[in-house]
Amino acid sequence: MTMDELERAVMELPLEEPPEGLRASILLATAYRPAPAFAFYELAAIGTLGAVALWLIVLLVSGGGVLFVHTLSAISSVVLRSFSNVAFLAWLAAGGATALWLTLLTGNHPIAALSHRSGRQGGR
Amino acid sequence: MSALLAEAPRAPVRAGPEDGDLVAMTLRGNSEAFATLVERYDRAVYHLAYRTLHDVEEARDATQEAFFKAFRSLRTFRPGSKFSTWIFAITYHACCDRLSRRKHYASEELPERADASPGPEARVIALDEASRLRAAIDALPEKYRSVVTLFHLQGKQYEEIATVLGLPMGTVKTHLFRAKEQLRRLLSGTEVTES
Repeated sequence: MTMDELERAVMELPLEEPPEGLRASILLATAYRPAPAFAFYELAAIGTLGAVALWLIVLLVSGGGVLFVHTLSAISSVVLRSFSNVAFLAWLAAGGATALWLTLLTGNHPIAALSHRSGRQGGR
Repeated sequence: MSALLAEAPRAPVRAGPEDGDLVAMTLRGNSEAFATLVERYDRAVYHLAYRTLHDVEEARDATQEAFFKAFRSLRTFRPGSKFSTWIFAITYHACCDRLSRRKHYASEELPERADASPGPEARVIALDEASRLRAAIDALPEKYRSVVTLFHLQGKQYEEIATVLGLPMGTVKTHLFRAKEQLRRLLSGTEVTES
């Protein structure tokens, strides 16, 4: 057998027959993988809301209603005071502007990215 | 004519979008595009896995693993490079991992397994031509066998074979030459002394 004949014989060898269902199982694990019911951030939000609800129930059942109202009013007063502070608002605006500038600089337009993402989700 | 035949890559070339375009379409969220890539390459990938591992179940798992890894890391695929080479490289590495685990397991727990079956050269005898050639390829040392299997899949694309195996192109050519020499000897019944 010459080298050419041997090469041709090797090239003409039939490929191994894959087991039945292999393609289907590959596709199910990749391209046609069902999308999860909840995205990670959705699960995180649901978990946080659940934890807050549980904390509220325990607080109210254990007679901590007054304490809860006090805590709530303290938090709201801090927030209100912050948003009426010009320096705080200035820093917030500067931070937002920097974030937007960096996003545009890297070529990712936030509105375009949002519409692209919603388009992809709609396509699925 | 035979030279032309040998030049042709075994990895499927079909009408329709190029592999690179299909990768880009998959990245844009088109699931059908990746399904087309799977249809094009699942058989060749399984062939490579089976010829390397010689076990149907392990080859099946390695094929699934290769496509799963490819799908997950599709963003790392360099535009302009060949998808076949990329998926074969992923498959080959998956097979090497499995072989090294198997060797580790066999040396620790099943030392008698190596002597249980007849030697590979004995299996070359009394088979039809294609089976004899396959048995002869199986009888080659691992480093030569991989080169021959990829030569079967990709033709004389030495650079692509070198990329898949992570070897210099000169080494691939040398391995292929020696492999063919050994195959000729095995098929003509001459004893092979080189390992």
